[in-house]
Amino acid sequence: MKKIDIIKSPFNKSNPITVQVLGICSCLAVTAQLKPAVVMAISVTVVVALSNLIISLLRNTIPPRIRIIVQLVVVSALVILVNQVLMAFVYDVSKQLSVYVGLIITNCIVMGRLEAFAMSNKPLDSLLDGLGNGLGYGIILVILGFVRELFGNGTLWGYPVFEKLGLYNIGYENNGFVIMAPMALILVGIIIWIQRSRNKDLCEKC
Amino acid sequence: MKNFSNKYMLIYALALAAVVAVVLTIVATSLKPRQDRNRDAETKQMILKTIGINASRDDAPELYARNITECNLNTSLPYFTFDNGNGIIIPLKGNGLWGPIWGYLALDCSGNVVGAVFGHEGETPGLGAEIATDNFAKRFIGKEMAEHPIYLTKNADKDNPYQVDAISGGTMTSNGVTAMLEKAYNDYSSLITNHQSL
Repeated sequence: MKKIDIIKSPFNKSNPITVQVLGICSCLAVTAQLKPAVVMAISVTVVVALSNLIISLLRNTIPPRIRIIVQLVVVSALVILVNQVLMAFVYDVSKQLSVYVGLIITNCIVMGRLEAFAMSNKPLDSLLDGLGNGLGYGIILVILGFVRELFGNGTLWGYPVFEKLGLYNIGYENNGFVIMAPMALILVGIIIWIQRSRNKDLCEKC
Repeated sequence: MKNFSNKYMLIYALALAAVVAVVLTIVATSLKPRQDRNRDAETKQMILKTIGINASRDDAPELYARNITECNLNTSLPYFTFDNGNGIIIPLKGNGLWGPIWGYLALDCSGNVVGAVFGHEGETPGLGAEIATDNFAKRFIGKEMAEHPIYLTKNADKDNPYQVDAISGGTMTSNGVTAMLEKAYNDYSSLITNHQSL
């Protein structure tokens, strides 16, 4: 596979959320607003990319029988690092994300990429694969965060868009349902629908 | 597949753990001052909120220094005063359902609550975690801490100065808040009465 394809394919035909349906839990939980969604996207990207790189560098030294433990230790260490950095530099967001940062450890995308790619590919390819998958996950998060904050709160990144547009004066009301987790799942479903109707390769043959 | 001996695996695991431990220790220690500053500013924000000042994290330390006086901070019964010593703020500490809960209660010179704020570490979102909302804190305003501790109860009587509406679905957390208020009352009742007579 060409390097550009490694980084590009997670955005379309192997997207972690819409095609592989991994990491759904966190994508429901942190996308009620745009800012935590973006921070979560960056955090996961950093963790997937770096853990892919580290595991790929170590891949020939890792005894197969304890490889899952080794992967977990590397991932946990990176997640703790990310959490510490968030607490030091973006304290409010880290409080908002609360347990979900720690739960990146259990995000299927991370372990999935380590097992499926980093254990058997060169470090540079693995780094690109990690970046691609993290960003492919992130782009869905950002889309969800954008839609849910805009229609649920009428704001974007905390800025009152709909109020400035004067929509409330003509009788518009925020849709509280968008803020709730089920709506994130419905939005993911709509994204999958759009993606599949554009890309016939993804449709299963009956 | 390469064959690795048990000895290799053990040493590998130990070495990896050691490397990770050292890296994490270095990072945690070097970021600690910054994190402590954030936590400290957050506490100050909470205390300011009880007297109706909504400070941002950056402004909090300065506004705090201007409005709040710390008393007995290094003893077991620390408290704060505001409005030139006319009002006192007592800290609350207790246990919720999943972990610690805390709060601050601002009282005027006759023991009436003028403001309250609560925080928690990991109460259930939507249920126990509601104690951290303004909506919950507002229920305490106008209540009394003078002769009896405030307690949380179902269908609280609005005119009863010691009753506050509990959180539906958050009974364990509500009980925690009641216990926390009772403990604070027992600890600080002499301070509250002395303060009244001033």
